[in-house]
Amino acid sequence: MSTTDPALGAFPSPYSVPTPAGCEGWEEGYPYYAVFDERRRETDENRFWFWNSMHFPVPMPAFDVICIDSPYQAVGSWQNRVFAVPPAMGIDYRIVNGYVYISGNPVTDPEKIAERAGFFQARAGHYYEHWTELYGKWRAKMDALIAELGELQVPHLPEYEPDEVALADDRNTAFYEVLDAYGRCLRLLDLMWQHHFEFLLLGYGAYATFVELCKSHLPDIPDQHIAQMVAGIDVLLFKPDAELRRLARLAIETGVDGAFAEGRTPQEIDTELARSEAGRSWLAELEEVKDPWFNMATGDGLYHYYRSWLDDPSIPYAALIGHIGALRAGQKIDRPTEEIVRERERLAEGYGALLDEATRGPWNDLLALSRTVFPYVEEHKFFCDYWFLTRWWNKVREFGALLAVHGFIEDGEDIFQLSRHEVAVALDELVLTWATGGRPLGPHHWPGIVARRRELLERLAAWTPPPALGIAPEAVTDPMTIMLWGVTTERVQDWARHRDGGNELNGAAASPGVVEGVARVVRSVTEIADVRDGEILVCGSTSPAWAPIFSKITATVTDVGGVMSHAAIVCREYGLPAVVGTGRATSEIRTGQTIRVDGSGGVVTLLDSGR
Amino acid sequence: MSAAAGGPHGRALHGLRRSDAPAFGGKSTGLGELLSAQIPVPPGFALSTTAFAAFMRASDLDHVADEALAPVLTGDVEATREASREIAAAMSSAPLPGDVRDELAARYDELAASAGVQSPPVAVRSSAVGEDSEDATFAGQQETRLWVRGVEDVCAAVRDCWTSLFSPTAISYRARLGERSRPAMGAIIQLMVDAAVSGVMFTCNPVSGDPSMVAINASWGLGLAVVGGEVTPDDYLVSKVTGEIVREQLGGKHVQYVPSVDGHGAELVEVPVPRRELACLDAEMLAALIDLGRRVERHFGSHQDIEWAIARAGVPPENVFVVQSRPVTTVPRRVKPTEPPPSALALVMGTFGAAQTRTEEER
Repeated sequence: MSTTDPALGAFPSPYSVPTPAGCEGWEEGYPYYAVFDERRRETDENRFWFWNSMHFPVPMPAFDVICIDSPYQAVGSWQNRVFAVPPAMGIDYRIVNGYVYISGNPVTDPEKIAERAGFFQARAGHYYEHWTELYGKWRAKMDALIAELGELQVPHLPEYEPDEVALADDRNTAFYEVLDAYGRCLRLLDLMWQHHFEFLLLGYGAYATFVELCKSHLPDIPDQHIAQMVAGIDVLLFKPDAELRRLARLAIETGVDGAFAEGRTPQEIDTELARSEAGRSWLAELEEVKDPWFNMATGDGLYHYYRSWLDDPSIPYAALIGHIGALRAGQKIDRPTEEIVRERERLAEGYGALLDEATRGPWNDLLALSRTVFPYVEEHKFFCDYWFLTRWWNKVREFGALLAVHGFIEDGEDIFQLSRHEVAVALDELVLTWATGGRPLGPHHWPGIVARRRELLERLAAWTPPPALGIAPEAVTDPMTIMLWGVTTERVQDWARHRDGGNELNGAAASPGVVEGVARVVRSVTEIADVRDGEILVCGSTSPAWAPIFSKITATVTDVGGVMSHAAIVCREYGLPAVVGTGRATSEIRTGQTIRVDGSGGVVTLLDSGR
Repeated sequence: MSAAAGGPHGRALHGLRRSDAPAFGGKSTGLGELLSAQIPVPPGFALSTTAFAAFMRASDLDHVADEALAPVLTGDVEATREASREIAAAMSSAPLPGDVRDELAARYDELAASAGVQSPPVAVRSSAVGEDSEDATFAGQQETRLWVRGVEDVCAAVRDCWTSLFSPTAISYRARLGERSRPAMGAIIQLMVDAAVSGVMFTCNPVSGDPSMVAINASWGLGLAVVGGEVTPDDYLVSKVTGEIVREQLGGKHVQYVPSVDGHGAELVEVPVPRRELACLDAEMLAALIDLGRRVERHFGSHQDIEWAIARAGVPPENVFVVQSRPVTTVPRRVKPTEPPPSALALVMGTFGAAQTRTEEER
């Protein structure tokens, strides 16, 4: 790979990014098509690529690449092949030093665009017209999918097949069942991603149009007012935290709140609770709440690292500690639903009245449409990204356990260091040697690969990816890039301007207010429990799943995110200033550093150099 | 004087309506309209163009002006300036006609009685007439004398206002318009607000045109400093819908106009350094201003450019006054699209680059 090429445009050439020391050969764990290859250089070097830190903030484990391929297969299918969004096909991705860069494929031929517009109008029109009915069907599809995943068995490889195989002829042999289950497991993930993107583009599009109409007639309207007018009242994603608040109250009422001391692990708290009758009945109540509300993920779900609250209760327990503390301090912790409704109507009426007659009609219709689509935009996360995905990763863990039992890998978790294709190969050899009784090579082959990749991931994690590579576009016109990632022309220009650093970061003003405080940089969910009262959360992108810890923090700063991010709405609800989409907060800010977050102006200022 | 002061040349501000504009000028009737809408405007009275005409006639000033202006060619800066000097000299030495002076004195005394102050300080302003009176204000035909006390000073200030009709800018402006008839002007005499803070407010964002915003510039002392651009004021953008401050930028505010030590006129003084950095408006003042702005906008049915003052005495909203309001004429065009937006669905299609180029039948 050449490293002498000068930077093209405002960003480094993807072909000139140096490999961090000791990370040579990092490409080996990824698909051949997933890297910047010399054979594609001419086109790839002249495109605009940005780091998708919203979905992929840390280096990709080999298996997790499936959560790049599958969603991009799905989003491209809907966007390009089903709805035929006129100016935009799908999204290409490339991996650089383990990090995921993406770039949209535009449609530029006017005739092609016109041809696609015909498809789009008819097909998208159908969805908008029948949205509520179609969304009802979607919910049924997702329920069925989650149920099927739950029922999917990962067979053991017994020494002797059971009698059903031999005598009843109604069961296949284990070799077939293992391979079948693995194949089905991967296909279920594809189905989930297919469902995931069925409504998403159209949902975001309707909302983005409303935002645009608001801004063209009310150029100074704060983003959060638009979000407030649209945001749902009975939002499913707020249910888990609402249940935690209820449990916090219950703990105080039944006198078991003493167990929830700051710094205690969930296990220590449980042990303490189990000692008393009241504590045990509180734990019983908690069990009731877990299905389904603990199917929240501890992050945005695209990595196997993000477990559900069921697997890792550190977030809900941290939230319980926070809620109990707030209640003891006499604060109101309930989401003021009535107030939110009143405010939402007040804003809609107030702004509507300021528009001219000709605009008011379409504006009201668009507001109504945005409200219709919004439940999907918010709720799909719970069903797809959290509930399904956390359970799916666990299903993959079962295959990991199978491989580990037979010595192909040392630990079940090692499966994530192998690509899905390598796992298929390993399973092939496993069932082959199980069947033949021969001596498997796998136990000598895979552990070394796993060890090297673990080391690579650790080294690559210390590398800071630039926000963008390749040619800086004159203008970002791809509606998907703007809607889904908040990557606008201004944002790209800002990234280009700030390549040299400085003590200010600019982003989108997502939630008003100005706060100074100590930063807590959280790169992965494992660090969430470290967040202390009064700190400012600095992260790649906040997930709604983190909402419960919002009662502990005083402001939020993210690398990526736009006006539609759910996190922005949550921040506003909690009254926390937020600046999103800074591009580089997690790389420029260090834990312990004092920063000022101006959520009204969209500026983060580093006030000292930290320790 | 206990009976209501009368006379052919003047009228109390609260008695003026839009239809009186040809006689009293737009600024005077604008204040009358505000008072009719219960907007707090400092009380006062207006003089009609008949007072001005009587003054010009009595000392034969019409002829002085005609003769001075006759040889001036449009665009001849030096000649215009010379004619202006000549007319101003004649006007400043001419006395006010007896009936005009008597009526002015009577109305001033009445104002003093209603305020309960002897020789109260007043503001004396010109009030231009004609359809282009809005433009005229930009053409230098606007004179304001602040903190004027006593009948003699009031008479002199009124004469100064009239004289501003013959400023070089005003002469050239009329010449450019091809205006040949004799000009006319009204005047306003209004109780002074002893302003702690004053400034300007737009009922929309004058830069972006956003109708949901109120833009406020505020500084210490009398409003002159803000209007004249002599200070960098505190700058606020406030949501009309929620009252939230969307933007707040404190200005340098290094000088202010205050009443002169001798009680006559206003003078420019330095603002003490620590005070320069303080915000000159608090939440209550802002709220009172926003409320006033909304009411003024509603009354006129259009966006307004409002001069306001907050008196030292009293608390908001009672001490917040509007001293002038005029329509905003410079709202950016982009908020007034020439074509009404199509349907909601068509707009969504546009977001996806699928604007409807073909009708259903054609498909």
